[in-house]
Amino acid sequence: MKICKEYKKDWLAFLRQELDSSRNKIMSEHLKGCPTCQEELKELQNLLTATGSFKDELKQVLDSVNWDSLQVTITEQVWEKRPKRLETKPSSWFFRWKWQPLAAGVILGLLLGVTLTFLVLKPQAPQFRSARTDSKIAFPADFVDRVDLALARRETVDYLERSQYLILEILQSEQPAQVASLLQRDNIQKLLTEKKYLNTQLDDVRLQKAKAICDQIEFLFLELSQLSPELTSVELEKIRNLVEEKQILLKINLVKKELQQSEV
Amino acid sequence: MVQNNGRYDESQVELLVDRVRKGDKEAFMKIVASYQQKVFILAYSHVRNKEDALDLVQETFMRLYEKIQTYRSGENFQAWLMRIARNLSLDFLRKQKSRKKESLDSLDLERNEFSSTSQDPTRFNPGEMIYRAVTELPDKQRMVFILHHFEELKYEEIANRLGIAEGTVKSLHFKAVQKLRKILAPQLGGVQ
Repeated sequence: MKICKEYKKDWLAFLRQELDSSRNKIMSEHLKGCPTCQEELKELQNLLTATGSFKDELKQVLDSVNWDSLQVTITEQVWEKRPKRLETKPSSWFFRWKWQPLAAGVILGLLLGVTLTFLVLKPQAPQFRSARTDSKIAFPADFVDRVDLALARRETVDYLERSQYLILEILQSEQPAQVASLLQRDNIQKLLTEKKYLNTQLDDVRLQKAKAICDQIEFLFLELSQLSPELTSVELEKIRNLVEEKQILLKINLVKKELQQSEV
Repeated sequence: MVQNNGRYDESQVELLVDRVRKGDKEAFMKIVASYQQKVFILAYSHVRNKEDALDLVQETFMRLYEKIQTYRSGENFQAWLMRIARNLSLDFLRKQKSRKKESLDSLDLERNEFSSTSQDPTRFNPGEMIYRAVTELPDKQRMVFILHHFEELKYEEIANRLGIAEGTVKSLHFKAVQKLRKILAPQLGGVQ
């Protein structure tokens, strides 16, 4: 089969006697001993016969056409139906095809330049979002952010002030019984609950200092809430030491001042 | 087989095209006279019906006139014209095929199948057989086969006509012959 491949391309030329004598001889020699190529040659011969038969048919048809009158008929019919616009004068040099790529390039460049300039220089349109989920009124996003931050600051300052008063009261009480009564008045529980609500607002990066001191206050109140009503003077002393050690009151003052100043 | 009706070289053709653009009827007729038989052979090889092929010749020259402004100087005019003829012939075949399908869908299937004499199953016709097989060839292979066998052009002349290399023409012709052998394998074995 591999050997036959070498002969395959020449069988048609062999049949038409277009090969030189040496190649013709080689092909003939191979053909004698190769039934596959004999079969292929037979098929090609039949193909050429069939092709010749179509060619004969075509010749007959070609001979039956009056070409001289056909060219006149075609010309007359084309001329009759031709679009008149072809007779207009040729287009100016600018619109000839060889200038078109250049013109297209220039126009494309201009369009690209204008688009880029517009994109770079165009004023940023404010983004709108609803101030509250249940409200359908939309405000600019940065405005809503500022309002949220201002509210968070006020609520934090309020929380710090009330915590500060409570801590001062505890520190100024001379008897453990007075402290015990302060602890029983639910003040601590209220402040602990308030802190829970405040936590989401304190997650803002700009309120990180306030969050740190609020967390310390929360820790202190948690400790106090776990003390028994029969508070001993030792335990009271321990609380005072904790407040002083952590400088809680000082920190509250500083953070409060900072929050109030930023609010202004 | 084709009459040598005033063959023009490339520069002469370009002059004729220029004159046609300016509305010269005589120049147009010279182009028609020079190429009508070539276009006819191509069309007839596709549709195998004299009247349809003549219609396609006329349609080709009508299209040529409409598109003559888009012909670029230096381009192979004959290859350009043959592309128009080939596309119109293929369009014609497609429309004919869909028309046949419609009629087979709506009318008596059996009667339609044997109504054409060219499709008479009792009569073996090698010309019909080769025509049908040639229309199944891929576009370029078909063109090369038609030009080589029906218009009797040499490989070099086909290369010039189609604007491709002579080696490509030989390769396309070889492939076309092999494909035809494959398509006609049952018939070729029995043809004497």
